[in-house]
Amino acid sequence: MREYNIVITGVGGQGVLTAANVLGWAALRAGYKVRIGEVHGMSQRFGSVISYVRFGEDVYGSMVPEGKADVMLSFEPVEALRYINYLKEGGVVVVNTKPIVPVQVSMGMAKYPSLEEIRKVFEEDFKAKWIGFNAEELAEQAGHVVTTNTVLIGALTQIPEFPLDAEHVREVIKLSVPPKAVEMNMKAFDLGIKAAKEILGL
Amino acid sequence: MAKVSDIVLWDKPGERVLLLGNQAIARGALEANIAVYAAYPGTPSSELTDTMAVVSKKAGVYMEYSTNEKVAFETALAAAWSGLRAMTAMKHVGLNVAADTFLSAVGMGVEGGFVIMVADDPSMWSSQNEQDTRIYAKFANVPVLEPSDPQEAKEMTKYAFELSEKFKHFVILRTTTRTSHARGDVVLGELPEEIKQGKRKFGKFKKDPNRFVDVPANARKFHPVILEKIEKIREELNNCPFNWIEGDENAKVGIIAPGLSYAYVKEALAWLGVDDVKILKLGTPFPVPYGLLEKFFQGLEMVLIVEELEPVVEEQVKTWAYDRGFTIPIHGKDLVPRVYEMTTRRAVTAIAKFLGLETPINFEELDAKYEKVKPLLPPRPPSLCPACPHRNSFYAIKKATRARAIYPSDIGCYTLGLLPPLQTVDTTVAMGASIGIAHGLSIAQNGSLSEEQRNPEKQVIVATIGDSTFYHTGLPALANAIYNRSNVLIVVLDNLVTAMTGDQPNPSTGQTPHGMGKRIPIEDVAKAMGADFVAVVDPYDIKTTYETIKKALEVEGVSVVVSRQVCALYKVGQMRRRGMKWPIYQVNEEKCTGCRVCINAYGCPAIYWDEEKRQARVEPTMCWGCGGCAQVCPFGAFEPVKEGSQ
Repeated sequence: MREYNIVITGVGGQGVLTAANVLGWAALRAGYKVRIGEVHGMSQRFGSVISYVRFGEDVYGSMVPEGKADVMLSFEPVEALRYINYLKEGGVVVVNTKPIVPVQVSMGMAKYPSLEEIRKVFEEDFKAKWIGFNAEELAEQAGHVVTTNTVLIGALTQIPEFPLDAEHVREVIKLSVPPKAVEMNMKAFDLGIKAAKEILGL
Repeated sequence: MAKVSDIVLWDKPGERVLLLGNQAIARGALEANIAVYAAYPGTPSSELTDTMAVVSKKAGVYMEYSTNEKVAFETALAAAWSGLRAMTAMKHVGLNVAADTFLSAVGMGVEGGFVIMVADDPSMWSSQNEQDTRIYAKFANVPVLEPSDPQEAKEMTKYAFELSEKFKHFVILRTTTRTSHARGDVVLGELPEEIKQGKRKFGKFKKDPNRFVDVPANARKFHPVILEKIEKIREELNNCPFNWIEGDENAKVGIIAPGLSYAYVKEALAWLGVDDVKILKLGTPFPVPYGLLEKFFQGLEMVLIVEELEPVVEEQVKTWAYDRGFTIPIHGKDLVPRVYEMTTRRAVTAIAKFLGLETPINFEELDAKYEKVKPLLPPRPPSLCPACPHRNSFYAIKKATRARAIYPSDIGCYTLGLLPPLQTVDTTVAMGASIGIAHGLSIAQNGSLSEEQRNPEKQVIVATIGDSTFYHTGLPALANAIYNRSNVLIVVLDNLVTAMTGDQPNPSTGQTPHGMGKRIPIEDVAKAMGADFVAVVDPYDIKTTYETIKKALEVEGVSVVVSRQVCALYKVGQMRRRGMKWPIYQVNEEKCTGCRVCINAYGCPAIYWDEEKRQARVEPTMCWGCGGCAQVCPFGAFEPVKEGSQ
């Protein structure tokens, strides 16, 4: 495989960088060359964030070019839409449908689009496959809302032609979370897999 | 996965690991047997310093968080003068702070290898400008090395120490955000015995007043020496392992790709499916080695230089080509933008134009499609965290001044007080500038207290500055304001940590990476300097903070209010690790009148508007339990309802 490109989007503080790191290590352990692009500092504080994960035999820069992401993993619906131009035609988006409303919206300075509107842009204008579900709810079922990114990564491993083995990704998560949180994260991972399978009809 | 601090110190040569560019540089410094490291944090350089902080003790390296870049530079420089390998790191604007020492001391050279790591931030993800450090390097006649990936970042760091020692000259290792904050696979090399054993290394300073005392008589001798050195280094770089020619030997077209642009060029050529070009990969954008240019230019009919920001390489190449009598077209900034960061899209577009090809994706079409998405997107700028003490300080300042003051502010998280609804940041220029600007405004609007003619229509000026910034460059400005009888209120937002760059300690924290340093309370400094009013408040107590600010505003002269409460992000992180819980506030539906004060005046990101019920709500996963909302709500509608650990 020459290259596989993932963009991860969300709100600063949701664990976007952690998710990128998990996928990066899984790819490294699978023998691929890996690049992860991140943004740190002030831009991270509850603002809109995007990270890039690229792996394969032939990867160079740390940023995925626009129109070239195979998949998007998004922690928040509007933050999925904000970076839709990175997705390739026919790409897949795995998205947590629980919104985080920006202060500007609460103040009445801007409007938050409906989930249907967002989904329509993905499916109709960008011909993307939409895998959307409330991952936060599933994370709470698993034991704690902090496992939301594990739920989403679980779902990600189920998309057609995803090049990393779900069990390998699971191993990396096991190694990267604190020992007492392993069980909870495994449960979250399984719930993510289940959610994606249902949506994909697998 | 193993902890990064372990990986960076792993004695496992040949092991393939995933490291952040900045961490790879730390590993490179260890493999080079570094002895002293000193720096002030600044995005995107900070993780290099943080990594050195966690490994230094085990590796026997002296490491410090200095109070600013100039003193960090001087600490490391003196170690290099003493024959040790030493390093300092900073962001691009940090080099401006260190520039005074940098430009004067370069002529004195060094004994041990001295590497200055400077991280540029093209596109200004976390910066106030996008200056190109390669121009500084050229200005100072110091060679600059620029890696194209994390592996090279590590190798280049080692090489930088060797080059510096060989020529007894400074060396700059320049990264950009996309190298410093890119993670990639890195193969670990050998660690020297001294690092493995954690043996602290000490140097010897050999007195030489003709060299180390920069009086004009000595300085006059330095400049020609510097120029001689840089030309010798230019020769040396013909054999630098990070410079090479690749691709089609017989190609008619050539591309010069310095630093990280090499990665984008390689990707762009693969994407375009073009392979009949010759590439000059340049790890040393200054000085460009002429011997390599000579080889590269053979047989070429046109050349493109793909470089980020300023035409530093382009100008050197064009000058050289003119002098050598080459008349082939040399393209650069006519096809590659001079502002913002390089991307594969930019590289592919420039190369396609240069070669007369179509881009692999119709970017205009994609842009047009995206234009239709934009109106749907609500803005989401970064914001002060939930429970951030700065929000309360700004809220109290705004209320006490009835929003009528001028609010100079500074560099840190609190710059976000610029955004609605707080809007209490009117100026931000550079580290420490809030106090200097406040003083200047006071003089311009009101006159000095020591002057006979003053403006009777007094304009209130309230400056805000963080604790780390206060010690960085706020001190001389405060002395200046007090000495010159300014009439300003300075609120020091003391959250006891350098929060924006990742919780590094500073004199207000007291703690150093090696244990307790000596804490310097800001109020003691202000009193000792002779401020006319000094008080300390807890911003979590909004009423007292407000009243103290009101009182301070009535005092003629320089008032300093230290608003002290530990950074919420830092505190919550600690509490989470210890499994501690905190109260979560909720809106009592009976009491909420929908007045929106909590949203329109206070603006905590955990509070949102319930459109159906026309009431405020708290997002429980985002509440960090400070209780500020309960204090600002006129109807007592916010109540702590449960213990959470979100």
